[in-house]
Amino acid sequence: MKDIVRLRTSIKEDIEQILNQQILMEFESSSKYLAMASWCDRNGFEFSAGFFYKQSDEERQHGLKIFHYLCDQGVVAVTPAIGAVQIEFDTLRSVFEAALEQEISVTNAINRIIATCRRENDYITEEFLRWYVKEQMEEEFIARRCLDLFNLIPADDTLRLDKELARVTFTGETVD
Amino acid sequence: MQINWQVVYQTTKGSVFQCTLTNRFIVEFSHTQTSFSVLDFRQFRRMVNAIDMRQMALRTDDAHDVAILSPPHTDRCFVLTLCEVVHLRDLLNGAGFMLDLNRMLSDCGCSFPEEVIA
Repeated sequence: MKDIVRLRTSIKEDIEQILNQQILMEFESSSKYLAMASWCDRNGFEFSAGFFYKQSDEERQHGLKIFHYLCDQGVVAVTPAIGAVQIEFDTLRSVFEAALEQEISVTNAINRIIATCRRENDYITEEFLRWYVKEQMEEEFIARRCLDLFNLIPADDTLRLDKELARVTFTGETVD
Repeated sequence: MQINWQVVYQTTKGSVFQCTLTNRFIVEFSHTQTSFSVLDFRQFRRMVNAIDMRQMALRTDDAHDVAILSPPHTDRCFVLTLCEVVHLRDLLNGAGFMLDLNRMLSDCGCSFPEEVIA
C-alpha cells in the first residue's frame, strides 16, 4: 500500500507530539526565567536580573528552533499556551536553585525524546537534538557553578555575589 | 468506493480510504464522506481522541449529550453522540494503527498485498 503519510513527512506522530511538548517546556522555561528576572530586578539584584533576562531569551530561542524544525518537516508546530509561573521566591539562592531544577527537567526531557527517536529509528530528529544535548551540558554547568558561588562568597556581600553570578560562563567545549 | 481508493481500515460503522491519486484520506462515517489531507487527518484523529467521554457520560445537562467537531479545512462539522464517538475513535485509531503497520512494513522493504487491504 502506498505510504502517503511518509510522502508528506518523515516525522512520526508520537515524535511530533513529544517535540510539541518540548516546545511548551522551553517556552515555560522562558516564562519562569522571566519571572526570576523580575524578582531579581525588584529586589535590587540588577546583574542577576540581566542574567535571567538573557536566559529567558535563550529558552525562547530553543523553543523556536524546534518550532521551525517541525514546520520544516511538514508537520504541525503547536503554539504553546503557557500557564502561570512562580513569581515569588524566598532568597536569591532559592531563585538559582529553581533555575538548576528547571535545567535538570529540560535535560531529562531531551534525553527522553532522544530515547524515543532511537526506538522509532528517527535518526534525523536525533541528529537535530544533538545541539540540545550540548546546550543542556552548558546550562546545567552554569546553574551549578552559580550555586557554588553562594558557598564561596559571604552571604552579606550581596553586591559582589550579584556581580559574580552574572559573570558565570561555560568554559568547556563551545556550543555551535 | 472509487478505483483509486485503497481501504486503510474498516469497521461495521465506517471506513477509512486513501486516494492514491490525490494522496488524501477519505473518512466514511454516518453515511457521509469527508476528505482530509495527511496532516488534517492526524489533527482530526487528535480532536476525536481529545473528546472527554467521561464528561459526556456523567454530565446530565443537554450540552454534554453531543460533541461537536469542526475538522480543519472541511465545510462540515461532526455532531457526535457518545456511541458515535466510540465508533469514530475505533475507526480512526484502527486506521492509524494500519498506517503505522504499513510504514513498518515499508521500512522493512515489504508491503501489504493488495488483496489483504481491499
